Amino acid sequence: MRLSGRLRSSLIIGGQGIRARKMRTFLSMISLFLGVLAVVTVQAGSVIAQRALLSDIEMTNGKDGTLQVYLPSHEDATAVALDTVRGRSDAVAVARAQAIIGEPEVRPVNEGGGPIEDGDAYAVGGYVECDASGVCREVGGSDPNQPQGEAVELSLQALSGDIRRFRPYRQESGEWLSFSSAPSMGPRIVINTKAAEAFALHRVPAEMRIKGAVANMTPQIIGVVDDGGWGPNAYVRTDELLNWLPPGSLGDPNFGGVELMVDPAATDVEQILRSRLSAAGANVDEMHVQPINTLEEMADQLSLMRWIFLGMAALVLLIGVAGILNVGLATVGERVEEFALRRAVGTPRLLLAGIVLAETLLTGLLTAALAIGAGVLGLEAASMLFAAEEPFLADVAFPWQAGVAGVIAGLVAGVLGGLIPAIRAARIPIATVMRA
Amino acid sequence: MTPLIQLSGITKTLTGQDEARTILAGVDLTLRSGESVAVLGRSGSGKSTLLSLIGLFDRPDGGQYLLGDKDITRLPERRAAALRSAEFGFVFQRFFLLKHLTAVQNVSMALVNGQGWLSRRKRRATAMAALDLLGIAHLAKHKPPRLSGGEQQRVAIARALVREPRILLADEPTGALDTETGKLVVEALRATTDRGCGLILVTHDRDHAASMSRVLHLTDGVLNPAGVPA
Repeated sequence: MRLSGRLRSSLIIGGQGIRARKMRTFLSMISLFLGVLAVVTVQAGSVIAQRALLSDIEMTNGKDGTLQVYLPSHEDATAVALDTVRGRSDAVAVARAQAIIGEPEVRPVNEGGGPIEDGDAYAVGGYVECDASGVCREVGGSDPNQPQGEAVELSLQALSGDIRRFRPYRQESGEWLSFSSAPSMGPRIVINTKAAEAFALHRVPAEMRIKGAVANMTPQIIGVVDDGGWGPNAYVRTDELLNWLPPGSLGDPNFGGVELMVDPAATDVEQILRSRLSAAGANVDEMHVQPINTLEEMADQLSLMRWIFLGMAALVLLIGVAGILNVGLATVGERVEEFALRRAVGTPRLLLAGIVLAETLLTGLLTAALAIGAGVLGLEAASMLFAAEEPFLADVAFPWQAGVAGVIAGLVAGVLGGLIPAIRAARIPIATVMRA
Repeated sequence: MTPLIQLSGITKTLTGQDEARTILAGVDLTLRSGESVAVLGRSGSGKSTLLSLIGLFDRPDGGQYLLGDKDITRLPERRAAALRSAEFGFVFQRFFLLKHLTAVQNVSMALVNGQGWLSRRKRRATAMAALDLLGIAHLAKHKPPRLSGGEQQRVAIARALVREPRILLADEPTGALDTETGKLVVEALRATTDRGCGLILVTHDRDHAASMSRVLHLTDGVLNPAGVPA
C-alpha cells in the first residue's frame, strides 16, 4: 500500500509537472521523438526486410524446417518417389524437365532456359555431360540446324501435390493447379512471371515439346505465379505429364532430377524411400536429406546490417536523452523551492527522485507513443504509395517488435535523461525554504 | 501533561567560508498543547535556524530534542520526513504556493507526499475543509497569481493545517504582508491553538508577538523570556 501510494503520488505530481511546463516538455520531446522514431524505423525496417527476404527465399528454397530429399541416380528413382508420396499432403515430389513452348521445329529465343528481360533473351546453351572415362561434351539444347523461331524454353516442374505448403508462391493471376480433379490430357500449367513476360513478348502457338515425350502437347496456361525464379518456369501436375512422358524421362538429373519436399513431422517418408530404393537396387547412400535452415543462414547476413543501423539509431536516441537531461536539469534548477517545500511537508527524498523520474518516464512514454504512431502512419503511407513498385510493402503490417523497441527506447531515454535531475532533486537541502 | 516538544541545551554551529559560527548556544524550550510562543530576535540571531531544528529540517550539534516522550535528536531522514508530515505544519514568509496549481490543489499537495494515500475525492474534501477553516473556500479554484498576499498566506496556512498537525511552525509569516493583513494572518494562526495545536511564531513584529501566550527573545544563541536581558 505504501509503495503503491508513493508510486501514485509520483505519477500524480509528475503529471502535474508535465502539464505545468508544456513547452519544456514539448522541447525535450522533439529530439527524443527523432531518436525513438529512428529506433522504431530501424526495428520495423529490419523485421519487414527480414520478412520480405524470407518470403523470397522461401519461394525458391522452401520454408524453414522442410526436409529436402535428393534421390540417387537410378532409373526407378522417380517412379519410387512418386509412388511413395502418392496421396500424401505432407510430402511432394518435384521432378524437373526442360520444355519448349512455341513454334514447332525451331530453336527457342532463350536456349537452355535463360531469362528474358526487357526484350533480351539470354541463351545458356545445353549442358555438359561427362562419361565414365572423363570425356565431357555438350548435350541437350536445341538442334543447331534448326532455325531460330518464336519459342521459349523453360524449366518444367512436375508436382505430385500442392508444393505451396513448402514454397509459398505468390499467385499473380489465374489460378493454381488443382490436385483434386481428374488429370487432363491437355496438361494444365502455371507459369511464373518470368515465363509470362517471355510469352508476352513472343506470342506463339502453344505447343509444348519435352525431350522423351511421345508427342508434343498443347498445354493450358491457367495461372501465373511469382516463384522468385530468375528464369522462365512452369508447373504441371505429374500425373497429367505422365500421360505423355514415361516416368523414366522425368527427373533428368541434368535439370535437377527429382527432389522431395517433406514435412519434418513426416518421419516415415525417408524410411519408406530408403527401403523401396534399396529394393529397386539404387545406392541409397547417394540419397541426401537436408533440412532447410533459411532463418539461420539469413540471421548472419541481417544481423550485421541491423546492428549498424541500431547503432546509428542509438546515437540519435542519445541526442534525445541529452535533450531530456538538459531540460530536466534546467527544470530542477527552477523548481528548487518546490522540491524543498515538498520535503518540508514530509515528502521523502526517494519520492522526490521518483517525481522527476516519473516526469521523464511519462515524457519518454508519450514520445514513444507518438513515434510509434508516426511509424505506423509512415508504413501505411509507404504501403499505399510504393506497393506497386515493391510488392513486399503490400498488406505489410507494422511489426509488434518495432512497437516494443519504441517503448523500451522511450523508457530507457526517460530513465537515462531523468536520473541525474532526479538525484539532484533528491539532494536539494530542505532549508532552502527557510533561507529564501 | 507531557509537553508537545521539549528542547534542552540545543546547540548549533554553522560552518561558513571563513570560520565556524555558533548560532544556538544551548536553547531550552518547551511547547505545550494549545500554547503559542513568539520568538523575537535580530536578523541573523538564529530564529530560522531554531525553527529548522524544531521542524526536523536539520539536526542539532548538541542537546536533546523530545517530541512527546520520544527522543528525536538524531532521527534518520526517512523517519524525520514521516514526522514532518504527521506532526508539523509549516508557514513561511514567502508563501511557496505552486503557481500552476489552484488553491485547493496547493493545499492537497501536502496530502500527496508519499506518507499514506487518500483517494482524490477524500483529498479534495480534506483540502476544502482546511480552506473553509481559513474562510477562503470560495477561492479554491483560484491560482496563486490571482490571489492577494493575505489570501495566499491563508492558503499556505491551510496547507500547513490540512494534515491536522500538533505543532505549527511559522517563520515570519507576515513579513510580506501589510499591517492589517498581517494581523488577520496572525489571528488565523493563533486560532489554531484553540484546537490544541502548539504554535511557534518567529517574527520581528512585537505587536504580533504580544498576541501569543508567551514571548521569547533569541539573543546570543540563547532563548530568554521577553524583557529579561541576556
